[in-house]
Amino acid sequence: MEQDLARRTEERTLASAGQTPHRYTLPEPYRELDHTADVGVEVEGRSLAEVVARLVLAEAALLAGGGAVLPDREELLEVKGEDLTRTALALLRELLYRFATARVIAASCTVHAAGSTGLAVLVELGPYDPVAHAEGHDLKAVTWHEARCAEEGDLWRARVIFDL
Amino acid sequence: MQLRRIEGDLWEIAREGRMKVPGRVYSVGPPAPDDPALRQLANVAHLPGILRFALAMPDLHWGYGFPIGGVAAVDAERGAVSPGGVGYDINCGVRLVTTELEAEAVRPRLPDLAARLFLDIPTGVGSSRAIPRLSEAELEAVLAEGARWAVKRGFAAGDDDALRCEEGGALAGADAACVSERARRRGADQLGTLGSGNHFLEVDRVAAVYDPVAAAAFGLHLGAVAIQIHSGSRGLGYQVCDEALASLAALGKDYGEDYRALPDPQLACAPISSEAGAAYLGAMQAAANFAFANRQVMTGLAVRAFSRVLSGAEGALGARVLYDVCHNVAKREVHLVEGRAREVLVHRKGATRAFGPGDERVPLPYRAVGQPVLIPGDMGRYSYVLAGTARAMEETFGSSCHGAGRLLSRGGALRAARGRDLLKELEARGIAVRVRARKTLGEEMSDAYKDVAEVVRVMASGGITRLVARLDPLAVVKG
Repeated sequence: MEQDLARRTEERTLASAGQTPHRYTLPEPYRELDHTADVGVEVEGRSLAEVVARLVLAEAALLAGGGAVLPDREELLEVKGEDLTRTALALLRELLYRFATARVIAASCTVHAAGSTGLAVLVELGPYDPVAHAEGHDLKAVTWHEARCAEEGDLWRARVIFDL
Repeated sequence: MQLRRIEGDLWEIAREGRMKVPGRVYSVGPPAPDDPALRQLANVAHLPGILRFALAMPDLHWGYGFPIGGVAAVDAERGAVSPGGVGYDINCGVRLVTTELEAEAVRPRLPDLAARLFLDIPTGVGSSRAIPRLSEAELEAVLAEGARWAVKRGFAAGDDDALRCEEGGALAGADAACVSERARRRGADQLGTLGSGNHFLEVDRVAAVYDPVAAAAFGLHLGAVAIQIHSGSRGLGYQVCDEALASLAALGKDYGEDYRALPDPQLACAPISSEAGAAYLGAMQAAANFAFANRQVMTGLAVRAFSRVLSGAEGALGARVLYDVCHNVAKREVHLVEGRAREVLVHRKGATRAFGPGDERVPLPYRAVGQPVLIPGDMGRYSYVLAGTARAMEETFGSSCHGAGRLLSRGGALRAARGRDLLKELEARGIAVRVRARKTLGEEMSDAYKDVAEVVRVMASGGITRLVARLDPLAVVKG
């Protein structure tokens, strides 16, 4: 079963698969998870690209506390991992690092390539605003606890817990 | 999982399967067998080189890999080091500064004090620039020298502040070369900042003294003002842990069956003697030094804030560091194991060192009574100062609890806080509060936490620590 999954999700660009990458913007649906002293998110999508984009924007929504993010730059992020879950976590870590150092939050996400061991996404980023984002969470780290990104039946689901 | 009572509040999880040692839990009331934190404790007992017991203090709750409130000592040569046994916030810890001020004399100025502290010490999301951004050379020195770096630059209550800190305010095993560029970038402008969440700076009143001899040795006088700081290594420590977890998880399969068979991937670990293990230890202890320096800089800023508001010279405050403890760290210590002095690596994750009387590692002024152990409560109730005991050295590798532990999730606390004016409730009790994010009040309210009095009672009745004094909050600053 794992091999079938790998074949279905082998890295490919969406363009080469005849698909136009879709630009997802804040807000996208996600479910916030209560978790002891920390916070988590769960997202669903009809495709791997959609669930990855929603996961990115769920992290952004936690950081922004529901406030609008006004993009002023864009960046192509390419990450790799041993499996899909770790790859998705790697992407979230990259974005959290940018928040920690450059104080920017993703406002949109377009997935250009998606596979079980690699992702390439174009994100528009905007500055953190201490007033507009006053209710945001101070996410410190992306944990591995119960993290997953996988196809389940007709839907893709992803779940991540963040350390506060 | 088989649980049996040993005596009093001490319970044991029987060794089974691939556990190398039993688990031992100090618990407020009988432990719930289905508590996931107990399963985590049993997992910790699988660590290569673990000695005697996987231990849990009464503020035990679920964490990543190790439970919070967990203590595990491993053989210093053949054992494993686990970043999960330290935690993300490396050397999150507590410092207490005593003063000669009387609480009742200061009470009318509390709102001004809280306001000044809030202004001078950055708090909350992205808090930075308490002091100018560190150059590469300065950061290098901070990672090596810890609290001493800050004392030399005038951020101090007294010249001997560092001597009154655990390990003299710096871990000798630090290796700044193992701290990545990314971790440095995250930390370079965060020295002297409080952070957010459960971090705080408090102005406290010594509200009760239980052990007059120990209190006198510690410089704690009934009715006096003290300053309590709870913070850690900020973004630098988080980045060190994050990178280590990723690196060690990938390498685990290379270290043999004991490592491959660990029941939880979040227990990712490496032999202390391996390159990866040594690199993590070096980076982690450098991050610990950053945290010591962080609390030292905030000490200096707090003392200056007091002087500004109270219009006195800093010396007139009579401010002096009582002690500074780590509660997320792993370090080499010598302990008696089966009657023989042996070097071990002690992991304390949400646990505090509590060395007993006569131990040479306790600063001389306190050596006769035992090491000060600082246990913060929640912002509406109280905190405690305890003293370490000889029994702690025998039973828990000289370790004690670290705080209250959460009862409610953050979301649960915010829901419970709906309709309440928490600021007014605290002010009605004479507590001046300054908080950066309004929701912090709800997330951190007293109802969200266990009663720390119950936690310290279990430690005291178990002979692990002695009660010395209680501190009640007068002013609270949070992120």
